[in-house]
Parts: sequence; structure tokens; C-alpha cells
Amino acid sequence: MFNQLYLIYGFLVLGSVAMSQYRGWSMDTMNEVKNVPRSIRDNPGAYRSIYSSYHHYTGGK
Amino acid sequence: MTQPVSNCPNCGAKITFQWSSSVQTVCTYCKSILVRTDVDLKKVGQVADLPPDSSPIQLNTEGIYHNKAFVVAGRILYQYEQGGWNEWHIVMNDGASAWLSDAQDEYAISFPVPGQTLPAAPQVQVGQQYTWNKQTYTVTVITEAHYNGVEGELPFQYWDKTNVIFVDLRSPTGKFATLDYSDEQPALYLGEFVEFDDLKLKNLRQFEGWS
Amino acid sequence: MSAGTPPLPNPPAKPQVKALHCPQCGASITLRSFQQAVTVVCESCHCILDAKDPTLKILQQFQAATGELLPLIPLGTRGKLRGTDYEVIGFQRRSIESDGVRYDWHEYLLFNPYKGFRYLSEYQGHWNDITVCKDLPVVRTGLVPSANYLGEIYRHFQTADATTGYVIGEFPWQVRVGERAAVTDYVRPPRLLSCEQSSGESTWSVGEYTYPQEIWKAFNLPGKPPEPIGVFENQPAPATVSVKQVWAAFLALTIFLLGLMAFNDMVASKEPVFTSAYQLNPGTPKGEASFVTDVFELKGRTSNVEIKTSANVSNSWIYLNYALISQDTGRAWDFGREVSYYSGYDSDGSWSEGSRHDTVIVPSVPPGHYYLRIEPEADARHPLISYTVAVRRDVPVFKFYGYALLALFLPVLYVTFKSISFERARWSESDHPILQSESD
Repeated sequence: MFNQLYLIYGFLVLGSVAMSQYRGWSMDTMNEVKNVPRSIRDNPGAYRSIYSSYHHYTGGK
Repeated sequence: MTQPVSNCPNCGAKITFQWSSSVQTVCTYCKSILVRTDVDLKKVGQVADLPPDSSPIQLNTEGIYHNKAFVVAGRILYQYEQGGWNEWHIVMNDGASAWLSDAQDEYAISFPVPGQTLPAAPQVQVGQQYTWNKQTYTVTVITEAHYNGVEGELPFQYWDKTNVIFVDLRSPTGKFATLDYSDEQPALYLGEFVEFDDLKLKNLRQFEGWS
Repeated sequence: MSAGTPPLPNPPAKPQVKALHCPQCGASITLRSFQQAVTVVCESCHCILDAKDPTLKILQQFQAATGELLPLIPLGTRGKLRGTDYEVIGFQRRSIESDGVRYDWHEYLLFNPYKGFRYLSEYQGHWNDITVCKDLPVVRTGLVPSANYLGEIYRHFQTADATTGYVIGEFPWQVRVGERAAVTDYVRPPRLLSCEQSSGESTWSVGEYTYPQEIWKAFNLPGKPPEPIGVFENQPAPATVSVKQVWAAFLALTIFLLGLMAFNDMVASKEPVFTSAYQLNPGTPKGEASFVTDVFELKGRTSNVEIKTSANVSNSWIYLNYALISQDTGRAWDFGREVSYYSGYDSDGSWSEGSRHDTVIVPSVPPGHYYLRIEPEADARHPLISYTVAVRRDVPVFKFYGYALLALFLPVLYVTFKSISFERARWSESDHPILQSESD
């Protein structure tokens, strides 16, 4: 009984791995942004990012 | 049959006691409490009771062994310090004599085998091994027993009431052997254990309450 | 030698029975329920029976002799085991002593006039169905002795002296309190081989572990059976799990996993889509002006994008704020990566920390035209740092295979651990415990 459940579980794990590779999943931290204007190509400095500064302070006031 | 049976002293109905030394029961008809007065109370809890003669085999029981029919012609009842067993004298359909031993309802059939080298009684010890007819046997039980009674036809006539030594031997393949020291010359019987069902016994003793 | 054949012994005499009578009114006592009743009241005249009444005394003496230990299956009970009816006709309590502690177990003798005798033994709620062996087992001595019975090997569990402490009912030989036998047990769950030796006798019997519910059902006993305590010598391991099978499944799944990994590596395009080299000049203020790369195209299906940053830092760091921006849809992925490498010598030799490369995987990027916006930053006093940014798409992420292997392994580990604990518990009571614990 346990063995059958384990095999089902095992194939689910394999399926997830296959899916992760096919769909290109990742666990790295990133921030998705929408609607970046085309003008950024001419003025990259205007782009605001939460990652803009190394070790930036994230606490409250 | 291991449940003692009697009659109610009040109303005469049949009463049974639950087990061999049970001292009280209730009459199902008149509901009186009945007490057994012949149980040795000093033995209760200390010593077991011996079951009464409980072999299902009786004279003229018929059976089959290795495709040969046999009939039970006689019986010897042996007794030793702590119990007893039966040796049934069976006659095969070719006239050969053999023994069906019945100890605690464990059955074995053996045939007399003359002309083998046999050890003297004082030499035998539990655990020793002997080989006869290319089969090795190990000594399992040494008993001092005497005849307690006979019935039917037997291959010998004289009886001695003194204790004699009997040695049981077994093998890893279910073979069975006995050394019988009742005569001056020890006698050897070789055989094997058999299952009750394989003997296809007919004309067995009937026990009340058992099918 | 005396002539004449001795007759068979007489059949046993009928038991002598008396009824209990009230001394006052002479009525015979009737009782509605009487299991443990040793004081009796007459229903007609309500006088209490004199304790000196000899018939009543018999009941009291019997109660005194048997009241302390009541068999779980009362003598006289009939039940059906393995298709045959048996009656319980005898009961005994036997014990062994180990390290000064007395361990009791109970034996019930079952009888059928045609099939013969069987024994049921009970220890702390564990039951065994036992018969005498017809075939003699063969013992092999050694470090761990074993016995071979009907082609199967049983391992030595325990050797001890057993003493009978209490016996009621019938036994095929006259068991007495004080009787001793050397008992040696060999196990092969669910079976048990037992060799009993006393002077002049050596008897082997084989037992099969039986669950208490089966016993209760067979003998129609009321209530629930007592819960078994601990693990018994021949108790079978819980049937739902077969450790061997689970490991076999794990191995099969691992092979599949490796196959999948190899296939993945072969099939993934790992296509380089953009590479460029840059320099961060020394002395530039923190947060040099950000810049954008040329546009590059991601072709094919939605897949991951790998961005590898390589920098020639030595005992310093460079931090890059990246944004992968879609020129078509305005969607962007925004993240920061650090490349740092430190090294030196100390009393233990040379050491190093960090790496000159960093790799990040951007998830599920649809095909289209993209560019990177990069904003580099370094320590205020950094030297000239040269760095390269290399972008590839559709790369295998081997980390996930590692996690998958762990996910596959954890249940196997759990099951194996449970099985080892069970077996350890089993052998802890034997002559050969698996691990000696200091606390004993």
C-alpha cells in the first residue's frame, strides 16, 4: 500500500522536475515589473528599482 | 469428556463442570448451585490433572498407510511418572504387524526392524545420534514406563509390571524410531510421524459433544 | 514374569456432587449471577450461609487457590482455530528470570479428540499458536546460533530457564508447580521455534504469531483483548510497508531521474543570445550611471534565461542591478547580483571566499526582443574592474534535480528508520540486542 503511494508520489516529483525544466522555473529572487516605458532605452537613469543599491536600507523611518 | 459429567442431586438433570477441577456449576433446570466434593483442593493450582483416556482410535478402527489398508487389532496402554500413551497393534492387509503409537494425539507408525546394532540402555543419552538403514536419528526422549493395561490381540503374551526404558528418536525429515528395552535384547522400531487426516481412519470412537 | 494380561484401567469415576442448602430453611440455594460469589445468601429466608458450611468451604478454598490469576480464556471455552474446534482444558503460568526481573507468560492447552493438542501462549498481550514439531530442527552453533526447520532458518533469540508457577486443568503430562525446563527460542517472524529441555527430554515446538483480535473472535470472548505492549520476538513487522520494496522503488525512480536529467541536458538548447564585456573605472562614485545593452532576440518557446556575470575582482566586490526588459511588452524582471572574491594567507595556509562568477536564472521568459538595463556599483576605493555579462536561454537547472532526489529519499529514510526502530525494539529483549545501551 505504502509502496504504491510512494511510487505515485515519486512520479509526481519527476513530473514536477520535468515541468520545471520545460517551463523554465527558477527560485532566484526577482521582482516582476509591468509596463516599463520605451523611453528607458534613451534614459536608463529614470528606471527605478528596489534593487538599485547594494545593501539598501529597507526598514521603516 | 474432559468436562466431568454428573447428575444434579436435586432434580437429577445432567450437569457438566466446565473443566477437570472446576468445583462449582449451576444446574440448568433447577438452578441450584452444585459443588464438587471429590476434587483434591490441595492440588488445584499446584498440579495439573491428567486427561482421561482420550484416544479417538479403538479396536477395529481401520485406516490406510502408504496405500495399504490396516486394521487395529490390539492396544497396550503405557504409563510413566507424569502421564501415559497408547501403542496400537495394527495389522496391514499383507499380514505384517506394525505399531501405531498415539501419544498426546501425535501419531506415528513404526515397524519392527531386527538385526541392527543397538546401544545398551545405560549408554543412551538425549541428543545422541544413531544411524540405521541409512537414516540418522537423534534421541529426544528417554522414558521409564510400565504396562498399564492391554486389550485385543498382541504379538506377545507375557507381561511384566516393572518399569522399562523406552527411547524416542526423531529426524529432521519427520522420521521416528523407538528403542524398547523391555526384553533382555533391546528391540528397534523404525517409522515416521503421520498426520491424523492422512490415515483416513474409519470406525473411530465417538466423543459426546464432538463431531 | 506374571502370566495373564492386565486389564485396562477403569474409566474415571463420576464426580461426587452436593447441592448447597440453606442451613436455616433447607431450601437449595439458587443464584442469579455467581461468578465470584463466595458469600451466599438464601433467597427464601435471607440468611447468610455460615462460612463453616463444609460445602461452602470448598468454594472458598477453591477461590483462594485460583482467584489471583484468571485465564483470559476461561477453561472449558470452545473456539475454532484454523478450521478446527478446540476446547481449552489447561492453563499454566510460567516465568523466566533475567537480570533479577521475573517475566511471566501464560500457556493455554487446547484439545480436540481427533486433531490432538495445540497451545496458545500469551505474553503482555502478544499471542502465539503453537504445535509440537514432527520434523526435528537442525541447530547450528556459532556466534549467533540458528536452527533450520523445514528449510527455513530461524535466528537464536533467547535461552533461559522456565519455571511453572501455577497450573490448573489438564495437561498431557502432569505439570507441577516448580517444574523447570531450559527453553531456547529461535525466531523467523512471524514464526517461533522453541526447544524445551528437561532431564530425559527434548521437545521442539513451532509457534505462529496471532493477533489478539483473532483469538477473541475464535473463542467468542467478550469485550476487547488487552493491548499488546512492546514488540514481541516473532511479531511480524507492520504489513503495510516493505522496506526492500521501497528501496527498490527509490532506485527505479532515481534511475528515471538520472535519465530525465541526461535527456534534459541533451534537449535543452542552452543558446547564447548576448555577450558583452564592460569596465567599471576606479574612483567612480557609488552608483555609476546606468546603461542599457543592445536589443537581442529570444527565439523559441517560453523558457528560462541565464545571466552569468564574471568579474576579475580580487579582495573586492561588484554589485549589478539588472533589469531584463521586454521591448515588445514592457514587462521586466528586476534583480540584483553580487560578485565578490577574497583570498589570502594565514596560519593554516591559503584561503579564499566567494567566487568570480555569478549565475542567475530568470523564470519563464516568453520569446521576443529584450535588452538589459545594468547599474553597476562597487566599493568606493575599488581598482579597475572588468566584467562580462553572458546571456543564454533554455538551460537545464540541475539544482531542481538535487531537490527532487532529496524529496524521493526522505520517505525512504523515514520508512527505513521506523523499521530499524521496530527491529531494535524486537531484539532489545533478546540475548542479542542490536545496540547496547549504557543506561541498563
